[in-house]
Amino acid sequence: MADPVATFEANSQPTGATAEARIDRRLRSARTKQAIIEAYLALVLERPQIPTATRIAERAGCSVRSVFERFSDLHALRVAVMDFAVAEATAQVMAREPEGDRRARLKTHIETRGMICEKWLPMWRALNMNRGDSRDLKSRVVMVRQVILRRIEMMYEPELSSVSELQRRRIVIAIESLIDFESWARMRQDNGLGFEEACAVWTLAIDRLLPPTPVS
Amino acid sequence: MVLTKRPTAQASGVDGRRLRSLKTKQRIIEAYLALAGEKSPLVPTAAEIARRAGYSVRSVFERFPDIHTLQVAAVDFALTLVTPSAPPSATDRQSRIRSQVESRGRSCERWLPLWRSLIANQGESAELRQRVVALRQWDVRCLASIYGPELSTVSDGERRQLLMVLEALTDIESWARMQEFFGLSFEEACSAWMQAIDRLLPPTPARA
Repeated sequence: MADPVATFEANSQPTGATAEARIDRRLRSARTKQAIIEAYLALVLERPQIPTATRIAERAGCSVRSVFERFSDLHALRVAVMDFAVAEATAQVMAREPEGDRRARLKTHIETRGMICEKWLPMWRALNMNRGDSRDLKSRVVMVRQVILRRIEMMYEPELSSVSELQRRRIVIAIESLIDFESWARMRQDNGLGFEEACAVWTLAIDRLLPPTPVS
Repeated sequence: MVLTKRPTAQASGVDGRRLRSLKTKQRIIEAYLALAGEKSPLVPTAAEIARRAGYSVRSVFERFPDIHTLQVAAVDFALTLVTPSAPPSATDRQSRIRSQVESRGRSCERWLPLWRSLIANQGESAELRQRVVALRQWDVRCLASIYGPELSTVSDGERRQLLMVLEALTDIESWARMQEFFGLSFEEACSAWMQAIDRLLPPTPARA
């Protein structure tokens, strides 16, 4: 999801003093909306429970009424937060290009994925725990998984292009299973591995799952 | 869900009344398990459990002070039903992989709703969390036993890494995604796991 403030600023074309005042008001409103989204996110990252409207308002520095003026209910806010989180995480992933030899690509992919898991695990858990029957939230979960799959295919295209479609699909499914948020959580929390150690486990596994890199 | 292993009147000191009470307790646990599977991840209410078991709500709370205690008892009972899947390590590599994967797949199919219910409702409960950890440790011990020949050829560090990887790969939610997200059938999902495990394991040592 695009930053609502930036989008608004880009699309606005003031034509006079009244228009400017209106724009200022709308800009403030967009900033409040963004502050509410970030407050919700911060609260979930601190504690994986659905925050109350009062706590969100407190953290955002606005009134509860302001929250519900911008979001029809907490579910609508959750969806907006999820969109914001997906956009942030995707930008974090795409910042590192799939370049270099097999070792370099493994390192890039795994370190980035590890950082994403570190940062977004609480949000991911809160989303999964509370998505209930929400189609909006379920579609976001699917979208996140599709981004993860596309990233795997992009990072290991040289190796995956050397096997049949069926083999490729099985390898991608296995890698996706391995680099799940909860797999990272178990390595870090249950098995007490450090960040580097956890990355080393994933590196060993993906390196074995992938076929040999074709000679270019 | 059909469950077995009900208490019987084997112990000579157990009188009829006590036996009836134990049977009631067992039926309540079975009703809870059946409902938790059907309603997963929602927790069934005391009224629903009582209705399913054929008793009054009072009977439920006479045997379990609260729903949490019943949850813990139900998880403990379910644990007794999870049978070991390890085939004899003397069989060849492919047979062991197939046997482990198919057994794990069936187990995932059977227990997924209950597992989700447990995960979603463990909250701050140390007792439920402890059981989740125990189940995972049990899975790892099974993997260590089944793939003992291959794992014996690598260092302790690599063995530990491989067990973590195998556990993550064959996680119950990983199975669920293969079916729900990727749309694989039971056989296709088994094939995906078999291929992955075969690639992950070191070569099987030749027999002495």
